Amino acid sequence: MLSGFLVAAARFSALLTVLTLLLAVLSGCSNNPYPAGSTSRSILYRDIPDDPKTLDPSVAYTTLESQILYLICPSYFRYHYLKRNPFVLELTLGAEQPQRTQYIYETTQNGRKVRLQGEMWTFRIKKGLRFQDDPCFPRGKGREIKAADFIYSFRRMADPAVPCPVLSYFEGKVIGLHGYAEHNRRRAVRRLPADYKRHVEGFQLDPHDPYVFKLVLNRPYPQLRYLMAMPFTSPIPHEATERYRAGFARHPVGCGPYLLAEYSPKLKIVLKKNPNRNPEFYPTNGMPGDREAGLLEDAGKQLPFADEIVFQVLKEGLTAWNMFLQGYLDCGAGFGATNVSQVMTRQGTLSREMKDRGVSLDRSTTPIIWYLSFNMRDPVVGGYTSQKRKLRQAISLAVNKQAFIDLSLQGLGSPAEFLIPPGVAGYDPNYRNPYSQYNAFKAQELLAQAGYPNGISRETGERLTICFDNYATTPGGRQIVGQISKMLESIGIHVESRTYRYAVWQDKIYSHDYQFTLSGWTADYPDPENFALLLYGPNSENKGPNESAYDSPKYNRLFKQMQGMDDGPERQQIIRCLRDVAVKDCPWIYLYYDHTLMLSNTWVSNAKSHPLACDYAKYYRVNGPLRARMQACWNKPNYAPLIAGAVVLVAGMLPAVRLVRKRRNRRIRVGSGGTT
Amino acid sequence: MLRYIIRRLLYAVPILLGVTLVTFLLFYAASSPEQMARRNLSAKNPSKAQISAWLVQHGYDKPLSQQFTRHMSELLLLRFGKSDATGEPIWARLRTGVGPSSLVAALVFFGSVIVSVTLALLVAYFRGTYLDAWGVFICVLLMSITYIVYIIGSQFVLGRLLKYLPMAGYEHGIGAVKFALLPMAVGIISSLGGDVRFYRTVVLEEMNQDYVRTARAKGVSEQAVLFRHVLKNALIPILTKTILSLPFIMMGSILLESFFGIPGLGTMTVDAINSQDFSVVRAMAFLGTILYILGSVLTDICYALVDPRVRLE
Repeated sequence: MLSGFLVAAARFSALLTVLTLLLAVLSGCSNNPYPAGSTSRSILYRDIPDDPKTLDPSVAYTTLESQILYLICPSYFRYHYLKRNPFVLELTLGAEQPQRTQYIYETTQNGRKVRLQGEMWTFRIKKGLRFQDDPCFPRGKGREIKAADFIYSFRRMADPAVPCPVLSYFEGKVIGLHGYAEHNRRRAVRRLPADYKRHVEGFQLDPHDPYVFKLVLNRPYPQLRYLMAMPFTSPIPHEATERYRAGFARHPVGCGPYLLAEYSPKLKIVLKKNPNRNPEFYPTNGMPGDREAGLLEDAGKQLPFADEIVFQVLKEGLTAWNMFLQGYLDCGAGFGATNVSQVMTRQGTLSREMKDRGVSLDRSTTPIIWYLSFNMRDPVVGGYTSQKRKLRQAISLAVNKQAFIDLSLQGLGSPAEFLIPPGVAGYDPNYRNPYSQYNAFKAQELLAQAGYPNGISRETGERLTICFDNYATTPGGRQIVGQISKMLESIGIHVESRTYRYAVWQDKIYSHDYQFTLSGWTADYPDPENFALLLYGPNSENKGPNESAYDSPKYNRLFKQMQGMDDGPERQQIIRCLRDVAVKDCPWIYLYYDHTLMLSNTWVSNAKSHPLACDYAKYYRVNGPLRARMQACWNKPNYAPLIAGAVVLVAGMLPAVRLVRKRRNRRIRVGSGGTT
Repeated sequence: MLRYIIRRLLYAVPILLGVTLVTFLLFYAASSPEQMARRNLSAKNPSKAQISAWLVQHGYDKPLSQQFTRHMSELLLLRFGKSDATGEPIWARLRTGVGPSSLVAALVFFGSVIVSVTLALLVAYFRGTYLDAWGVFICVLLMSITYIVYIIGSQFVLGRLLKYLPMAGYEHGIGAVKFALLPMAVGIISSLGGDVRFYRTVVLEEMNQDYVRTARAKGVSEQAVLFRHVLKNALIPILTKTILSLPFIMMGSILLESFFGIPGLGTMTVDAINSQDFSVVRAMAFLGTILYILGSVLTDICYALVDPRVRLE
């Protein structure tokens, strides 16, 4: 009886074991997630946290989307890979620097026709550029790129079916673009497609030269050159958008160093070298220290280096981090505040463990500012009187930024003094904001002067309460809110946290229906205008980017003045004046500038993070054979614990089997003699 | 039985309508179409014109009654349309995701049923011995550990320490098995504690029945007693527990797919809720309801198949 059951159980277990072993054999019993032999080839393996929402160059905006799209759809300019402070633009598809000339245009103001002075930018593109081969072209062969393809991508921005995030940058400046966009919107309401034939004065082609196009602006706009380095202004073949329609978002057609070879949703995106790519070369100069760091060893060599780039979708940072440690991801994987102690020492250098693995670290400040914003329309914290100003200054002095960075960000940030971050013209490394240096004593002094001695209102006798509106729904977010609240509470202010879903919070912030919040801004381009606009008064209307609704006539005038200027000492002087106005009024508490950390395994060379250019992967060189050897060395399966476990399990079961067998073999005899 | 099934399916119609209505109302109560537009447009500060264009493009500019009518009719015709967030056809996404989700789900489902029932029979067989006591203790221990620990632990032990299996990834075709083994192990081990305890109780209850004693007295082998008599009679609670979990398994496991990089449907609903992608949320809620209803009908049918006393009328 017993043996029968045991035999059955044993049979079943054996079957399971055989099946498992079979599956294990099928899988090659290896933790390598890639096809055999592929890691010895020149393929760069990277991780992305999710699918890109779109790969349409006119729509894609996030870093995730950009790091793929910049490699497929280059623009007129690109950022110099190695140069920083300031960032430098160089020509990619452009043949020469654009020519800026005055342009007189006619417009109607108050019912009268007036002639105003604008600016015309003339762009000349390289001859012989070709789109990648794609079925959208006749015989599948990519055709030559002409200036009209650039103008087509500008026209697409005004197509309501293509929600271009930077349309606002062009709409008020390119002559006729606003009217054209309105015309297309009216057509969209009537369910008609956008009109790509309508004349727009601001978009001009040279009838005698198919490689020249002109953009006509109603005022000087030097920042245009930065926008010409973004995929929005990359040439788009109309054949592709007409053939793939909405599917173009998953099938970009460009002329970059790579083309999209495979798109497996939620799994991976594979880019392969584009045979029709525009010839590009590795930079021959860089920053001091770049040569010593080996970043100029490939100077002058043709790009790109890797034959393929595989972007593996890994939603969880921990998984990506483990795969990086196994050697299955080449760089920058799953690294964050949680594992910083494994990577870095307290001094900010690479840990011994990482050094032993040959990992290299590149740390840079990103042009992202995080700030605490006051609602300037709020009756308690807003306003421009001396008392209100002192209240905000007191709160600013109570925030210990370094402690915040150390505790909440594990040191991955640097204290901000003003809204312009390092790397952007106008950033002054020697400037110290008088209301940004943590000083609880001075904070309490100012708080008293503002009418709240020890946080108690002189008028009402009640404790000052500030509502901290946030979207901190994660433990990390709650920790940040908690830490800032504690800092404010240390000077006697009571803080009430109001947490919303992100969409609701966003709505409240842009409607100025809040009191105090934490927010951030990433640079679109490295120009101070892109940051200073955040406090420009008119930008607080129509849910504009001025969240604090700060509206200082002096600041507004200075901003208008510097907006259209090219960089130079005069502009720097205006920026300093503008800074002094904003610092005194204190609509923001400038919290920190973000840090980017880039880790790469020993077989990757030329790795240097660029906070604005997302085409860095084309510069990376991968030593495939070395990677394959290291992976084999790091990932040898260890069978000893499995065998030991099986032995212990069997040994542990044997006494029980004997016990049950004994129990089963017991004979029960009922009679005068009792039980035996 | 056919009449019963038809009747049950007809009962499902008001349930489906109710769920669809509630989904529609809840979504609108939670966020306005403007908020959805703002969330789905890439721009940092989308203009009013861009928001209006988005609303027109996605049909959210219409009165609520019209939107609801369109919403209902499209769902009933199984025309899910395109994702509000990505513009990708939802059916295409479902088609690509259902394979990986189903593979992992099937392996976890069958694996956990087979292993749990076998272990429950073993533990029941060894009742009263130290194996039984340790078995129950280990079950309680397994039940006390959170799911995320199994995932991270298995990735660490089997992927990084012992280096047997890939930590994440997927391959279409036969290669998928290699990537499904680790999620399968996690799925099985994590459900083991609760399942084995439950099945052990069910089996032990049956083993104390008169018919078992009679069978043994008649000299039926222990193997036959357990598999032919006890297991058959214990099937009703086992079926109830397993089949009702089918819809959840089909819709994919959020954590498993997320950690193991499986391109399934598990994260689709959560991602859609986070990005306020109403088209995807309503499609997934609708499909989830259908699967749940089918699961419960299937359970009833299985009852009738395994228990002659149950008649479906």
